[in-house]
Amino acid sequence: MIFLTVIARLADGLPLAASIQEDEQLGRDLQHYQSQAKQLLRKLDAQSPDRCMLEAGNVNFCYFISQGVCCLCLCDASFPKKMAFGYLEDLHNEFCEQYGKRVPTVTRPYSFIEFDTYIQKTKKSYIDSRARRNLSSVSTELQDVQRIMVANIEEVLQRGEALSALDTKASNLRSQAEKYRSDARFLNTRSTYAKVAAVVLVFVTVIIYVRFWWL
Amino acid sequence: MSTAGFNSQNGTGTGQTYTNGPSQNPVALQQPSGVGYSVNHQPAYNQMQAKVLAPPGPALYPSGPYQPVPPGPQVGSYPPAPAQPLLPRPQIGILPSHTPPQSASPSPGPRPAQATPPAQATPPPPAVTSTSYYTGPPAWQYAAPRGPAPNHVNPAAAAPPLMSHSSTQPPGPGAPPTSIHGFTQPGSAPPPMNPLPPHTYQPNRPAYGPPPTMKPTAPPAGPPGTTGTPPPPKADAQCWGAASSARPPAEPDTQEGDVECPGDVAGNGPQAPNSYNHVDNRMAGAAPPGRHLGHYPSLPPGYQNTSAPPPSSLHPALQAATQPYTQGPQPYQQPGGPGPGPGPGAGPAQLSPSMAAMSLQSSTPEALRVVNLLQERNLLPPAPVPAPTPCLTQDLQKLNCSPEVFRCTLTSIPQTQSVLNKAKLPLGLLLHPFKDLSQLPVVTSSTIVRCRSCRTYINPFVSFLDQRRWKCNLCYRVNDVPEEFMYNPVSRSYGEPHKRPEVQNATIEFIAPSEYMLRPPQPAVYLFVLDVSHNAVETGYLSVFCQSLLDNISALPGDSRTKVGFITFDSTIHFYNLQEGLSQPQMLIVSDIEDIFLPTPDSLLVNLNECKELVQDLLKSLPNLFEKTMETQSALGSALQAAFKLLSPTGGRMSVFQTQLPNLGVGALQSREDPNQRASAKDVQHLSPATDFYKKLALDCSGQQVAVDLFLLSAQYCDLATLGCISRYSAGSVYYYPSYHHQHNPAQVERFQRDLKRYLTRKIGFEAVMRIRCTKGLSIHTFHGNFFVRSTDLLSLPNVNPDAGFAVQMSIEENLDDMQVVSFQAALLYTSSKGERRIRVHTMCLPVVSSLSDVFAGADVQAITGLLACMAVDRSVTSSLSDARDAMTNAAIDSLSSYRQSALTIQQPGLLAPACLRLFPLYILALLKQKAFRTGTSTRLDERVFAMYQLKYQPLAFAMLMIHPALYRLDDLSDEGALNIGEQTIPQPRVLQLSVEKLSREGAFLLDAGLVMYLWIGRNCHQNFLSQVLGVSSYAAVPEKLYLLPELDTAESQRTRAFVSWLRDQRPFFPSLHIIRDESQLKPHFLQNMIEDRTESALSYYEFLLHLQQQISK
Repeated sequence: MIFLTVIARLADGLPLAASIQEDEQLGRDLQHYQSQAKQLLRKLDAQSPDRCMLEAGNVNFCYFISQGVCCLCLCDASFPKKMAFGYLEDLHNEFCEQYGKRVPTVTRPYSFIEFDTYIQKTKKSYIDSRARRNLSSVSTELQDVQRIMVANIEEVLQRGEALSALDTKASNLRSQAEKYRSDARFLNTRSTYAKVAAVVLVFVTVIIYVRFWWL
Repeated sequence: MSTAGFNSQNGTGTGQTYTNGPSQNPVALQQPSGVGYSVNHQPAYNQMQAKVLAPPGPALYPSGPYQPVPPGPQVGSYPPAPAQPLLPRPQIGILPSHTPPQSASPSPGPRPAQATPPAQATPPPPAVTSTSYYTGPPAWQYAAPRGPAPNHVNPAAAAPPLMSHSSTQPPGPGAPPTSIHGFTQPGSAPPPMNPLPPHTYQPNRPAYGPPPTMKPTAPPAGPPGTTGTPPPPKADAQCWGAASSARPPAEPDTQEGDVECPGDVAGNGPQAPNSYNHVDNRMAGAAPPGRHLGHYPSLPPGYQNTSAPPPSSLHPALQAATQPYTQGPQPYQQPGGPGPGPGPGAGPAQLSPSMAAMSLQSSTPEALRVVNLLQERNLLPPAPVPAPTPCLTQDLQKLNCSPEVFRCTLTSIPQTQSVLNKAKLPLGLLLHPFKDLSQLPVVTSSTIVRCRSCRTYINPFVSFLDQRRWKCNLCYRVNDVPEEFMYNPVSRSYGEPHKRPEVQNATIEFIAPSEYMLRPPQPAVYLFVLDVSHNAVETGYLSVFCQSLLDNISALPGDSRTKVGFITFDSTIHFYNLQEGLSQPQMLIVSDIEDIFLPTPDSLLVNLNECKELVQDLLKSLPNLFEKTMETQSALGSALQAAFKLLSPTGGRMSVFQTQLPNLGVGALQSREDPNQRASAKDVQHLSPATDFYKKLALDCSGQQVAVDLFLLSAQYCDLATLGCISRYSAGSVYYYPSYHHQHNPAQVERFQRDLKRYLTRKIGFEAVMRIRCTKGLSIHTFHGNFFVRSTDLLSLPNVNPDAGFAVQMSIEENLDDMQVVSFQAALLYTSSKGERRIRVHTMCLPVVSSLSDVFAGADVQAITGLLACMAVDRSVTSSLSDARDAMTNAAIDSLSSYRQSALTIQQPGLLAPACLRLFPLYILALLKQKAFRTGTSTRLDERVFAMYQLKYQPLAFAMLMIHPALYRLDDLSDEGALNIGEQTIPQPRVLQLSVEKLSREGAFLLDAGLVMYLWIGRNCHQNFLSQVLGVSSYAAVPEKLYLLPELDTAESQRTRAFVSWLRDQRPFFPSLHIIRDESQLKPHFLQNMIEDRTESALSYYEFLLHLQQQISK
């Protein structure tokens, strides 16, 4: 079962098309998964592995990246991996064919929402057990499916958090360093003043001395 | 979802700022006063010089362009005021003196100056004389008849005895304005003229003053007396004016005057109007005796004078600041003007400042002109009543939101709740947020700039502190301007955030980024739920519906994802499987109505593009499918549940067609209407729902973004009060076609067809939410319209359509002491049928005033009526109809009596109202006689409830027609004053009073009551009209039932049809036209709309006024 499909631009995570299957079992959780999907899309970049399956409890996120477009779906843990990636590739090909050239130029979210119609149809053919037989070819093409990386959604999302924590720490460090630097400079100048003041004092004393005692 | 969307965004951006136009607001307000002064001084100087020079003065007066001149140009002139710097000290000194007296007026500097003088000076008699003098020129007279209203206020404010006192004490401040008056007029014309004018005036006075307008209105007042009296006051005024003026002006004025000469121009125009006002006021005052005469018939002559102030005058007037004040000063000024002899030098200087002030306010007094309702009967303007314009500076007013979209009952917001309580007028907003607009700027940007704390969208009324920061006009928080906002896509320039479209347009639409979406945009989904019981088939609506849908199926708003579905029901529920690939539609019948389920969840809602043929097949066969049905029961509740299940995953629109009382399964109802009970004097029962099933279901629908629109076509009672809940809480709309029948009632059929067409093809927004924000200190507490209030101020609108109106009530929680303006912002977030998430933002800005008379001056009588109607509907449901009726009457009594007690200082007999509220009693009476609230046997419960829905749901412009229909005479249409739209010429007949007295047997009259129009043909109607327009040979040949104007190739016919279709085109629903003869069955319906006449159970307008007067004087 595929609950959620999102196609987004890799560069900035802007969603381009999406399809959602309401499901009574999932119910409210779907909201949660949607926001996870959004976060995930924002995290992904050109360095991410181009195929990956992320476990999130009893459901899996699968995504497939190519040509600057990321296709992501949320499916049952029991849903065959092969099928999921076959489905994503199928979508990706069709999507790039129809809208590929316009992807970099759009600014509005869900600009290609009309692709939803195709997504739903494709989904139906992949979910339908009778139709699956027709798709057996898919599995052969996807021999390398075994090599698909499997990770946990939490890890992926938290990796980001760890990074951002690192980032904040670094920026803290930096700001503190700057503070230290300014403090140091302040101290420096103060000591310089003190020295100058001492010299001046001596000088003045000398002058006074010369003036009053020497003459 | 929606809430989250709202919250999610960050207004934050990195801030940069400019000071820009908007920021001016605060600044501008302050400035004008200063400017005004400066300007004034200048002219004065000029005058001085001019005296030597110029004779032209007199010419100026006669030119008489005054009215047009004042508002616009003057304002414009302010900015130039560069002179200000010059003005410095001396002026300031002057100002303070003025200000103290002004205390009442909230408005900026200029107004106060004016204000003060009136109070002191205005003793009525002198004023009269003075005015007359000025007016002397012919132009004056013209103006007077129209504008008569201006200010009662002045007289009221000014105590006659005060005159002498005032002259002594206040003179310093007061005096200047007076002098100004005289001067200003000249000023308007070229500067040189000034000197002469005063002279010319004086001579004029005697001649003009007595004769013109005054006499007719107030014969008893004793015109002779007035003429005689004037001289002494004048002298006084002049004297002090001279003295007072002399000191301040001396130094600065001279300098400035030379420099600024050009500046003076601004003010003049307005003055003239002021003077008129005085006269009028006087007249009103004098008039009282006339009242005793009492009967309307006797009055007519008097009416004529006052009759129908031109709408145009209102607008400009409003713009000016406080009206009432201005009037007062005028009388003084006049004396000053004439006084040339004594202290010309000093006088003029002072005068000039006052002139400027005058110019600002000049027009305003119109709204406060006291009208004695018992005497002036002809109150209705000849054209539709325009919305008043708030007293804002022109810069702001130019940017302000259109009154068609956003209207406030009080265009001047009172400063405190106590002032509001004193005024006894409701404070609220009327909105038409999704109105079809011809011009709508749309902005796409990745960050939408909003206030960080109150989430207000950036708008034209915010102030830019500098390039990088802006100050929210609702919560006053200072926000940063994001980097992106520095770039202006329109002009392609950088660094001018105040030129961005967001800051230049009060109505704007944003394309929302993905933060504003909780789920991807859903397709447009339309589900039709059709009653196919025997009763429904009898009415024959099914074939009309199917045909309409077939005709418009490709015009349904949506994209390639659009989905449609159909459910029919009688005692069972029928689904239609339209899946692609089927050769023909498959009907699936579910007879288990207690526990409804969907037979095939996937294929009941289908993609319209892909299955269009199947859908068309179904529509073609549907009418025949049930032709022979004998099933009489209706399981509406179950059908709705099924439809809800079908739509809940996606949301969408459910259109329900029902023709009888649901009597099976859940939500079954019983007839509650007892026709015999209607006759009883007891209160109307059953206005509230019989069961909460429909409300609960509607709330479920609202939660799933489903809206339910109800079409009720029925001859019998259907309990609309209960069924209507399904639409009311799901933000749907209700259509009601009483006695619909495809053969017997062709007018209804046509209406149904046209309405359906509009309904199917109009714009639609899905998953909408609306939030209305207002400046800190104001709070919104009650909402009217169709929606569900999700959190305290968030309206959930599963669907929003362009024909829906809303109203809200407000209260003032904190004093608005230090504010000059307040703002209101309505933001509507919706998904268009193309899957775009958009935000439409409307912002309105209104001035704050502290005095009660200013509050009255800013009252918008139509908006007040609209809001009162909404409140009365609530009241009649929660309490009782008679309660609601009493409440409405009391609203009129309270506000008029508080006006009398607090805003009027001179008590006169009669029923007095400010000009802006002159229609208030009439509208209240119209409401009392409206279907929704009237008593008597003739109103069926469903019709009453429907009228109530309409009052709450229709935008104000249409609701007003339903409250107070318009009557036109059609047999003498001419092209005079006609509108030209495209190639068509549309005649514009006068709006007549709703009284049989206005009908004549020789004429043909069109009554436009919003949803229905009656064309009444008089018994002796002109042969010409009968043959050229109706195409019949004689009166007797007019058919009994005629719903169409025949298309004849005559000029008369073309004119008439152009006019009727123009009226129809202006509204989103289709009013059916009934052409009736004098003895037609429909005549009672026609006559019921004659609101000013007496009916068996209701008072005539005059009686109602007497009733009000009685209550007020108690």
